[in-house]
Amino acid sequence: MSTPAKRRLMRDFKRIQLDAPSGVSASPVPDNVMYWNAVIIGPADTPFEDGTFRLAMQFDEQYPNKPPLVKFLSTMFHPNVYATGELCLDILQNRWSPTYDVSSILTSIQSLLNDPNISSPANVEAANLYKDHRSQYVKRVRETVENSWNEDDSDEDEDGEDEEDDDE
Amino acid sequence: MKVNIKHWHGVATWHWQTQNDELCGICRVPFDGHCPSCRYPGDTCPLILGKGCSHNFHLHCILKWLEQSSSKGLCPMCRQIFTATVLEGVGAPDEIAQLQELENSHRVAREQAEVGDAYELPNDVL
Ligand SMILES: [Zn+2]
Ligand SMILES: [Zn+2]
Ligand SMILES: [Zn+2]
Repeated sequence: MSTPAKRRLMRDFKRIQLDAPSGVSASPVPDNVMYWNAVIIGPADTPFEDGTFRLAMQFDEQYPNKPPLVKFLSTMFHPNVYATGELCLDILQNRWSPTYDVSSILTSIQSLLNDPNISSPANVEAANLYKDHRSQYVKRVRETVENSWNEDDSDEDEDGEDEEDDDE
Repeated sequence: MKVNIKHWHGVATWHWQTQNDELCGICRVPFDGHCPSCRYPGDTCPLILGKGCSHNFHLHCILKWLEQSSSKGLCPMCRQIFTATVLEGVGAPDEIAQLQELENSHRVAREQAEVGDAYELPNDVL
């Protein structure tokens, strides 16, 4: 059944297919436009360069008047990402606007990668290393980048099947 | 050759008179189309013009946003306080009244919060 939220999400999908911002991609899982899988490529000239970080986005019928739940599926080492993969990002919380869409959410997360907000850390260790021991911070981030490649090879097919099973 | 016109169908086109944006920023449907809750464009799904800022939305789209307390009564595009330009004959009277009521209740919430200083003020623009 088509609802306002689903119609909006189909527009988001059309937009990201026609005009994807560089380094991000996303699509709804088969048969469920309310649940999306996304990938953000770590921006060049940052410690996150070449990482293929996977995310899940869960929308509800209040979208776009309420933000989606967004979390990283890939293991991250970032001051604003919790161990669960959930993000601390103002536009996904109290500064949400219904003019945002999937493309602009992912672009914001992409720019958060190399521009963390240190004042309210979700990962205190990452925030401290970022502030005081930058080379160690970079090393930890590079580990997650390498992990992201391995995850991609081993998990992706399994995940795809799981989700299809859930929907049927 | 003689032509007898037996009947005819008038066809007209119309557009909302808007200056800059052609899409509603909330539903991303062109202004000349209808919001996702309506079936037909036009008078039953009118555009609402911002008074303080120049941003326009389908009436039903801005209503749903302002119904959220998290909207704080702000324009989704520029985060200034949203005030609708009310034009005579545009929009169902009860929906326009609802819009004004929402604007009002956000204003009251803002005034109350100024004492407690907990409310995010609109000068905090991106
Ligand atoms: Zn709209
Ligand atoms: Zn409508
Ligand atoms: Zn505005």
